[in-house]
Amino acid sequence: MTMLNSFIPALAFLFQEVEGGMLSQMKYAATHPDLSKFLVIGALLFIIGVAGVLTRRNIIVIFMSIELILNAANLNFVAFSRYLQETGSMNAVAGQIFTVFVIVVAAAEAAIGLGIVIALYRNKETIWVDEIDLLKW
Amino acid sequence: MTLTGYEALFFWIFGLAAIFAALLTVMARNAVHSALFLISSLVSIAALFVLAGAEFIAGVQILVYVGGVMVLFLFVIMLVNVSAEERGREQIFNRQRQVTASLIFCFLLVAGVLSAVNKGYRGLKAQHPQQEAAVAPASPDGPSNATGSSVMTRDTERVGGSLYRYAALPFEIASVLLLVAIIGSVMLARTLKQEASADDVDPETLQEEIARDPELAKVEPQSE
Repeated sequence: MTMLNSFIPALAFLFQEVEGGMLSQMKYAATHPDLSKFLVIGALLFIIGVAGVLTRRNIIVIFMSIELILNAANLNFVAFSRYLQETGSMNAVAGQIFTVFVIVVAAAEAAIGLGIVIALYRNKETIWVDEIDLLKW
Repeated sequence: MTLTGYEALFFWIFGLAAIFAALLTVMARNAVHSALFLISSLVSIAALFVLAGAEFIAGVQILVYVGGVMVLFLFVIMLVNVSAEERGREQIFNRQRQVTASLIFCFLLVAGVLSAVNKGYRGLKAQHPQQEAAVAPASPDGPSNATGSSVMTRDTERVGGSLYRYAALPFEIASVLLLVAIIGSVMLARTLKQEASADDVDPETLQEEIARDPELAKVEPQSE
């Protein structure tokens, strides 16, 4: 009986430890995603885009990877804009406005880039970037 | 900005969808598959924008990217017609050494960016310690949404207002940029025949090309 009496507080202590421990912290972080989770997703999208630009040979897929990179930046802008709105900053929508301009520039870039791709394909009959070495010395 | 309840669930669903679709964009063998995976990635990111309270940006993302840019991509894929090359044993990635080097670079970038996010976010939390408690969005006077865990924002109104006041000059510059892009892409995508009919080819080049293709000699420069 005395053993049980000393055991229960120990168990309670253990459970309390688990309650406020690393596992429950992780659970809290997973059920309450905040700014940092947005930033992590943005970072992963950015890295995937960079990997696509560096490893692919198809110039059209490289353009798509650039779109991914721009979108990762947009995600960060929007997340920070929301964060600043809650701190009561005066110019909190500036992030969203910047996102609009990033989208505009991305559309212009895609139009020009794909025009270049078409001109290139007409002249060189290839879309593999390692075969386009006209400026290589 | 802490998402709770259904918002947290949807955040993880769309976040993972965006990342996996992005991975498949980079890995897909067929360029059309890449474009379709990129569309699903962009739509997932638009959903994340909605979760972050930027409904207007989400709409712009869907309309401009998915409706405009990706259709342009699909048209170009159709025009350059690479399916014959894709079906063969053509290598879709660069050579082994370059891929290894770039992947090492990417892993270093991942480590650097993630540690920077971690550290910077801790500093930000120290700067605004009351952030954790603040769950109420900026304008609680709008109608509540279906899940009831947050309320709709007056986001579009504020973005529109700031776009024309605070960012009026960049807005005008953006319109000029789009005009330049339209004209530039039209100029870039012309064929030699179209260039000859607009009398816009170097005479020597035209003579060389006529020697190769006699059809070109019949093209009369149209002057208006």
